[in-house]
Amino acid sequence: MNIEVINRFDELIDECIETFESLDFPEARAWKSAEPGRALIGCFPVYAPVEIFHAAGALPVGLAGAGNRLEISHADARFQSFVCSIIKSTLELGMVGKLDDFDGLVFHSICDPARNLASVFTRNFPNTRVEYVHFPQRLHSEEAVTYLEREYRRILDWATATTGRSVTDEELRRSIALYNAIRTGIRWLYDFRRAEPHKLSTRELYALVRYGHVAPPEKHLRLLTHAFDELQRREGKPKDRARILLVGSFCEQPPLDLIASIESAGCYVVDDDFLLGRRFFSADVADSRNPLRDLADAYVNHSVDSSVKHDLGHSKAEALVARARAYDADAVVVLTAKFCEPALFDYALYRKAFHEAGMPHVFLEFEEKMWLFDKVKTEIETFVESLLFT
Amino acid sequence: MTLIAGIDIGSRGTKIALIDRGGKLRGWHIARTKPPFEETVEAALAAALATVGASRGDVGYLITTGFGRSSYPERDTQVTDISAGAFGATAMFPKTRCVIDIGSQSSRAIHVDEIGRVKEFKSNDKCAAGAGGFVERAARYIETTLEEVGELSLAGEDPVTISSVCAVLAESEIINHVSQGRSVEDILRGVHNSLAERAIALLKRVGIEPEVTLVGGMARQRGMVRALSEMLQMPINIPETPEIVNALGAALLAKRRLERVAA
Repeated sequence: MNIEVINRFDELIDECIETFESLDFPEARAWKSAEPGRALIGCFPVYAPVEIFHAAGALPVGLAGAGNRLEISHADARFQSFVCSIIKSTLELGMVGKLDDFDGLVFHSICDPARNLASVFTRNFPNTRVEYVHFPQRLHSEEAVTYLEREYRRILDWATATTGRSVTDEELRRSIALYNAIRTGIRWLYDFRRAEPHKLSTRELYALVRYGHVAPPEKHLRLLTHAFDELQRREGKPKDRARILLVGSFCEQPPLDLIASIESAGCYVVDDDFLLGRRFFSADVADSRNPLRDLADAYVNHSVDSSVKHDLGHSKAEALVARARAYDADAVVVLTAKFCEPALFDYALYRKAFHEAGMPHVFLEFEEKMWLFDKVKTEIETFVESLLFT
Repeated sequence: MTLIAGIDIGSRGTKIALIDRGGKLRGWHIARTKPPFEETVEAALAAALATVGASRGDVGYLITTGFGRSSYPERDTQVTDISAGAFGATAMFPKTRCVIDIGSQSSRAIHVDEIGRVKEFKSNDKCAAGAGGFVERAARYIETTLEEVGELSLAGEDPVTISSVCAVLAESEIINHVSQGRSVEDILRGVHNSLAERAIALLKRVGIEPEVTLVGGMARQRGMVRALSEMLQMPINIPETPEIVNALGAALLAKRRLERVAA
């Protein structure tokens, strides 16, 4: 995609969508083939320390399943029917050769299926380097940062072995600065949508963020800068809609048409947890003499709440209600992937907190491969009408 | 006179309910839905206005509902059949806690709170076996009219069993019953029992709580009302004009919205 030659904002969004919906990773492959020695590292959601891979000379590519664009056949033989879609579609991508250009794949300790997916890849793809990041579970432990710094050192060694080049602290700091700039840009977009949701739809915002999962970060930053300029000039009139906080889709991603359906059912989304990994920190990662410790500190002390982080020392449910109030949300829509255990465990706690706080909410489930949205749209419309009319 | 028009664009009928700013029903009209929907709505609206001696200029707000709710560009806003049915039923029977809405192509069960707000609902979208269209087709097979079905069913003494959950297969069953010489009355009572079972299955999923109100054209069929009432073992509220409940509910929701916005 040539950002600078596309004049219209909607065309830019369409190009972003076309890029991230392609199962061939066109931007990543083009980047890799431009120079010999470049490597692609696939990062399973939710969060991966992409700065480490970038500094090591690789392009970190977000793996977000295959949506409803890939028939699952091989993966069904390796996972049970009660496992969420993204696990199967990611494995299927590998099985049909869509990940052949990837030099390494990284998974994390977010849930049992993700843990098993790493093992299944290791077994089925002996020529692909597969690594597993063990994030600390007790985040308020004094040792959490030190532990994670050590873990990141191990991951850095793996990354340099994958790309065949060593990494200096200065290179790490430069990568952190680049991703800090991207996170700042994304935060600006989220703030903009919250303040003027009639000028930036969630579908558009999602496209702008997700493009960065499959394109070089330098190019993503240019895209965000371009979008910033475009949005400053955009005009629009606010409509009579319900302001909702949309949570529960932090890992497997709902179909884009489902996101659009939620909006067209009468909602302004004031915040969401789509694609959470690339905006995982509430502030910039620090710039000290120890970049790996800075990254570890950001994860332990400055990352946002999510269903894949536990033992935080505070109630996620109460924090969610407080966030909804702070953002002047009329209600919360909990949109979770079918069979997503972390989301469903949290929902049990959220539901109680919503009830106690008098915060209206609706719970909906989705699957990657769903392609009919009438029923969900009707549920959302009915919910919104209960907010607006009665 | 400033009126609010509730317009229910259903797959079989387009229903208009006109209310005044006090929420009183002033007039209504039912027309057969035909494409283009816009022309059907305009004609039905004109007919409804004529019943109260009003003109198009007297309509201050237009709200649509039903499957064709987005197909009328002149609308001010639209609401789902679920919200409209819940609010309309509660307006007519304030103690309503459950609403069964059996339309031509879909049916739904709605659990409402004391002000008519939807707490939970389930619908049988995309399955004709639980909808009024099934009765219409059954009537056609046994060569009777939809208007006669309710009374014929009421006279059935030994209802046939229709076990298929698919409308196509259920129609084959009806043909078998006809060929076996079963009476029209018993077959139609079996059809109503089958439909009632599906409606109650939906109702169980949202939680059965009295009072139950039946809306939609099927409420006109006394055999259907009996089947539901017997299976639920409780009386069921039947509006005087059940076809216009959703249109009325939509109009009353519009009134509520206008008051909220003004406040």
